[in-house]
Amino acid sequence: MFYYLVIFAAGFAGSFHCIGMCGGFACALGRDQRGGGATLLRHLLYNTGRLTTYCFLGGLAGAVGQVICTTQGVAAAPLFNGSLDIAQRILAIVAGLLMIAMALQFFGLLQVFHRLAIGFGGSTFALSLRSLVTARSSAAPLAFGVFNGFLPCPLVYAFAAQAASTAGALPGFLVMAWFGLGTFPAMLMMGGVGRILGPAGRRRGVRLAGGFILFLGLITLGRGLLPSHAHIGLAWLGGHST
Amino acid sequence: MERRLDGEACTFCCYGCCIAFQVKSGRHEEWEAAWLLIQLGVGGFLSMNIMMFSLLLYSDAFTGVDAGVLPWIHFLLWIFATPAVVLLGGPYLREMWLNGMQGRVTSSALIVLGVAAAYLYSAFAVFEGSTHVYFDTAVMVLMLFTVGRYLEAVGRARAARDLEPLLAAESESATVVDGAAEIRGPVREVSAGMLVRVRPGERIPVDGVVVEGESNTDEAVITGESRQVTKGAGSKVIAGSINIDGPLLIQSSADGTATRWARICRSVREALGRRSPTQRLADRVVGVSVPLVLALGGLTIVYWAQSLPFDRALLIGLSVLVVACPCAVGLAAPMATSLGIGRLARHGCLVRDPGVLETLARVRLLAFDKTGTLTAGKARLVGVYGEEVGFDQVLARAAGLERLSEHGLAQAITAAAAQRDITPLVTSDVRTVPGRGIRGSAEGRPVAAGNGRLMNDLGWPLPPSLAERARSLEASGHSVVYVGWGERVHAVLSLDDSPLPEAQAAIAALRKRGLDATLLTGDLAQAAERIAALVGIKDVQAGLSPEAKRLALDRLRHDHVSVAMVGDGLNDGPVLAAADIGIAVGSATDLARETAGLVLPADGFWMLPWIVDVARAVRRTILANLMWAFGYNLVALTFAAFGLLQPILAAAVMAGSSILVVVNSLRLERLPDPVPALMPAQRSDINVERTHNVSGISAMAGPAVGHDLATRGPLDP
Repeated sequence: MFYYLVIFAAGFAGSFHCIGMCGGFACALGRDQRGGGATLLRHLLYNTGRLTTYCFLGGLAGAVGQVICTTQGVAAAPLFNGSLDIAQRILAIVAGLLMIAMALQFFGLLQVFHRLAIGFGGSTFALSLRSLVTARSSAAPLAFGVFNGFLPCPLVYAFAAQAASTAGALPGFLVMAWFGLGTFPAMLMMGGVGRILGPAGRRRGVRLAGGFILFLGLITLGRGLLPSHAHIGLAWLGGHST
Repeated sequence: MERRLDGEACTFCCYGCCIAFQVKSGRHEEWEAAWLLIQLGVGGFLSMNIMMFSLLLYSDAFTGVDAGVLPWIHFLLWIFATPAVVLLGGPYLREMWLNGMQGRVTSSALIVLGVAAAYLYSAFAVFEGSTHVYFDTAVMVLMLFTVGRYLEAVGRARAARDLEPLLAAESESATVVDGAAEIRGPVREVSAGMLVRVRPGERIPVDGVVVEGESNTDEAVITGESRQVTKGAGSKVIAGSINIDGPLLIQSSADGTATRWARICRSVREALGRRSPTQRLADRVVGVSVPLVLALGGLTIVYWAQSLPFDRALLIGLSVLVVACPCAVGLAAPMATSLGIGRLARHGCLVRDPGVLETLARVRLLAFDKTGTLTAGKARLVGVYGEEVGFDQVLARAAGLERLSEHGLAQAITAAAAQRDITPLVTSDVRTVPGRGIRGSAEGRPVAAGNGRLMNDLGWPLPPSLAERARSLEASGHSVVYVGWGERVHAVLSLDDSPLPEAQAAIAALRKRGLDATLLTGDLAQAAERIAALVGIKDVQAGLSPEAKRLALDRLRHDHVSVAMVGDGLNDGPVLAAADIGIAVGSATDLARETAGLVLPADGFWMLPWIVDVARAVRRTILANLMWAFGYNLVALTFAAFGLLQPILAAAVMAGSSILVVVNSLRLERLPDPVPALMPAQRSDINVERTHNVSGISAMAGPAVGHDLATRGPLDP
């Protein structure tokens, strides 16, 4: 459980990054003329849409990890037949390195990587969604949230990598669900009160998120590199075992 | 499929195009466009939830799940799946129904039947308490197809991007000045004679003449060449060009709907609306294949049901239906063709039929008309030959008469005199003699300029040396004008049409691309051969009437696979129509030529090699797309029929296949822009030379001309 709480905390810290990137959308959704209750519902729907996408991506990434690592639950043979442990270790190393790279660019390093991640189709996608923000239908915030969840985002990539390393649809789903829930409070507040933090505060928050991702990345990398008996990370965190 | 938008009936080829049109189009209510995205978003929300539950069911986490919980999860899946199927499947059902009413079975039928089978079977299973449900398959197939079609449609919108400025501008408005009032209204309501105000940065809405103001304009879309042209009071302006930096008041010379611009737009729209031969072939194949696939799907189910449980057999049948959806085949040709048409239109080349590009790519021989196509179509004075007279004397008299005539040769003589600052002699009693020339009197003596018959009629003797010179000039294809005064012929003027400066380079570039060139002309053989030699064409057929030209073209078509005829369109109508492709070049007033499939801008001859490159690239892309699409369908169908392809995977690969076709077609956007065969510096030198053609004759006309105007020696008194 503690593992998922760390993920939640990472999501919460990461939401300072979300404020910079997706906060504009939340602000654009704005307040509902019909009052506070309707506004809350509007933003709950938006965030539920976002969360659904994250959960889906997590489940999918976990299932892909599962296909790579194990025969359990799927009809297909694993790609690394007979070397289950090696496959899982490779996956953990790849995911760990990816998370460390993401964390580094949260500290202002590897900006090229960041630009690549943001630039890929993001602007076209965002442009298509413009009309959804102002649509009157109450289903629009939900749809908008669903699409928003697919927007290219280094934070989502990092946790999707973590989800893949869990090599299971359910743990993958849970990783992204806890991460998404972590981003809930800040994004919900953004919708209600507009900007809640100045740029300096956001920068500190982004660094904090980077710290969490680095921490999780190192643990994941450790799972791939260290001998089995030294798998202190997850045991200590009380996380899932695969 | 047909939908009513803004009260107007709009026809779309598919549901995806309808989505993209509304999302991209600014014409409709904002929320209406958004509603389509809401459908996709809400459908996505539902299907993602279904997928999550299904993934959990498939994964080890729920292996051995409590048998009492399973029915509840199935029920939850049904709750999510039902609205998703209605929301995402509705448009396909409608499409199938509408097509079915017209007796057509299209690809939407494959999707609807497959999805309906999976959904209805699963819904039945939920209430029967069976262990297997396939809601995820039903919903994800729909979702993947919808997303795939949406992305395709966005790709198509990108394909039309080159045409956007062209077509969007057609519906622009114009500011009509009526006394002190300025009224803004649609361009189609502007009629000839109205005053129109055009501000800097605006597109000039109608053809007309500048009444007030001065500004630079960009006529790239009409002429194909992006350069600024300064316009002041009295200058003609063309609808569609951009007014760059100053306000202009223009008097419209045509109705808003009759402008060259409007004709271009109509012509491009029509071309986009038609289907090329390859498209028609693909349509026919799709029309035949859909019922076959339906039958194959049925047979697959029957076959597998004998050895497998019915639900597994149904799933295999569903894979067959989904994987055989010929979306990519339907996209293969139109995507590439629209991109090619758009690309050419951006440079002022108008394709009137989408099949033109495919045919042009196959052409092995280009037949050229001479006058107005390989040459500028305007005579130039290239030589003056006289006996005991001065050069200025001859031109002053000739120009004194000819400046009152509209004849092409007369204009060339007047222009030559003006360029050399020779003042035309004042003439009186000027009279045109039809078919012969012109006569009058100057300095109290009769003076005449014209052909030999005029001199005969007048009874003026022709010195033997001049007669000999005239004969040799005529034999080499020049036009000859005799100039006489004081009751005898004193000089012979030779006039000629010279080849376009870029013709030689363009023909060499075409040859490099493996295309032969031939010249078909009504002119005299000598003149034709001289021009052909200058531009690098070996095969010449001269002295042809329009009918003989057509017969000659038929013979060429018999010998070669495909022949394109390049003409200026003035008298080449029949032969342009008879060729595999008619290409009209030259006069911008002929843009709407009915007989040509491809119309080049006024100065567009040099673009021919580039156009061939574009056409070949389009054809290559279409072939690659079709090979991929058919090949994929065939291979995937085999896998599906043998039960080796999950339906969701089939749908994902199907959508991926369409996207691959789109991406492959979009590579056409990366084709280089046309580069003049001659460097711009050379072009401008030659233009200067042509402008001052009097001093550049020997270089252009070759040694056949004995004495040119630059070497005035023999003519000096």
